[in-house]
Amino acid sequence: MAYHLSVFLENNPGKLQRITKILSDNNINLRAMSLASSGEFGVMKLLVDNPEKTFEVLKQNKLTVTKRQITAVVVDNIPGSFNLLLNKLSQNDINIEDCYGFLLSDGKTAAIILEIENHPNAEQLLSGLGFNVLTAEKIYKY
Amino acid sequence: MFWQKDIELMDREEIRNVQLDFINKEIKIAKKSEFYKNKLSNIDKISSLDDVKKLPFTTKDDLRNSFPYGFLATDLKNVIRLHSSSGTTGNPTVVFHTAFDISNWANLSARCMYTAGARNNDIFQNTMGYGLFTGGIGFHYGAEKLGMLTIPVGPGNSKRQVWFMQNFKTSVIHILPSYALRLFQTVEEMKIDVKKDLNLRIAFIGAEPHSEEMRKKIEELYNIKAFNSYGLSEISGPGVAFECQCQSGLHIWEDYVYPEIVDRNTLEVLPDGQEGELVLTTLQREAMPLIRYRTRDLTKIITEPCACGRTHRRIARITARTDDMIIINGVNIFPIQIEKTIMSIPEAGRNYVIEIFENNFMDKLCIKLEIDNDNFGGTLQDLEKLQNKLENELKQEIGVTPIIKFVDAGSLPVSEGKVKRVFDLRNKNK
Repeated sequence: MAYHLSVFLENNPGKLQRITKILSDNNINLRAMSLASSGEFGVMKLLVDNPEKTFEVLKQNKLTVTKRQITAVVVDNIPGSFNLLLNKLSQNDINIEDCYGFLLSDGKTAAIILEIENHPNAEQLLSGLGFNVLTAEKIYKY
Repeated sequence: MFWQKDIELMDREEIRNVQLDFINKEIKIAKKSEFYKNKLSNIDKISSLDDVKKLPFTTKDDLRNSFPYGFLATDLKNVIRLHSSSGTTGNPTVVFHTAFDISNWANLSARCMYTAGARNNDIFQNTMGYGLFTGGIGFHYGAEKLGMLTIPVGPGNSKRQVWFMQNFKTSVIHILPSYALRLFQTVEEMKIDVKKDLNLRIAFIGAEPHSEEMRKKIEELYNIKAFNSYGLSEISGPGVAFECQCQSGLHIWEDYVYPEIVDRNTLEVLPDGQEGELVLTTLQREAMPLIRYRTRDLTKIITEPCACGRTHRRIARITARTDDMIIINGVNIFPIQIEKTIMSIPEAGRNYVIEIFENNFMDKLCIKLEIDNDNFGGTLQDLEKLQNKLENELKQEIGVTPIIKFVDAGSLPVSEGKVKRVFDLRNKNK
């Protein structure tokens, strides 16, 4: 099981930097992130190299944080590949709660991070369909 | 079952006889004070309890205006203690006690705690403030009188509170309801299992008006019974009325005070069962009797006999203190309505403040609520859903649409004593 961290934050100057400073001070590498805002407050998703440690240090610093399970799929860096993935997900009635992606270092592939709602077997299903689903270890260190 | 069976089960007629007797004694003592010498100049005694309504009221302003010694009704050599309000908004209200007053008050506090189920083999942790505030010292004396092992920790330092609770197996705690909720965060942080690691069974909660929903939340969190305590420093302090094990209204000790409920506007005495302002006449005070003191607390008298057998009538949970009323664009709101609504939504946080400000000549009500690890699911949708739910349910309860703001855990001010939740930022000089 792989996780990213979801952090509550007020939409005010300095709030985001408070988080990045904690990561920096604790030598935590931020691999990818997404930010959703509802005007006055928002939620930040953090994909880091060491989620356990990050969870603890954020909590120690009195931040409101929770772990959320993710599925990471590698797709080719070509037109239509993300569409193909989404097509398979919708065909199988899998709903996405949240999603973001980042290019991998080879430049030819990208990792798509998915928060999948109420579908415990999604990973198996995606593997079965021929998708390259990353293990937790790979997601954090790839 | 009973601390003072003969008093607690006294029949109604006898109670009324005792009360008439006591009121006449109190009038006599009161007239030795500067304030009542004038106020009661043409009254020496009353011939029946029906005549109480002919006596003049006493208000908090009277106490302030007679600062410092205007209400003292005995020689200074008999006075052994004073308690006082903080006096942030003018002269403080000062209350004097003789040795008899203190011992009587201790007995009353003991009676309250015994009524709720505390016994002399209990271990009692007092987290209320000691000092001029009556909450801590009042129950301290009562707990010792009852014979409990009393731990006078005082307020604050949550880790130490939990440490004492765990190591000495505290079974009874006296705590502000707002602090009980906050303390639980420390219990969780210290990874304490309330069922395995603690021995808590009873909490006395008071000194702040609180809702039934808040009591239930405290009972759930700690797996205990929480009993509502009512008192006010002008009368002595905690111990004036208390819940028995039926937890359905608070027995007001009618050998200690004579209660009336009056209409807030006309000040006419209301029949039992109708809600109005509680007015109390002390029955046994020596240093400082108070005649028909207007408490500013809103409640009603419950006349039906209580299943516990005590004959002293009950008052309903205090619904509000008139001083606390907020008027927003002409609508009257009591903070406890807001608390009740927030507490009834399990996914809402426990720490909040109410801010009132003006925008474009309109009053705005803003509720800031902390999002902490207990109520954060991790998605924006959940937060938005909670925001809408709070907005709708509060609108239904108070008739005003509030602005709901979510803020970081720990960002709202924390106070050691009674919690300050309402911040009125309107310009009052206009």
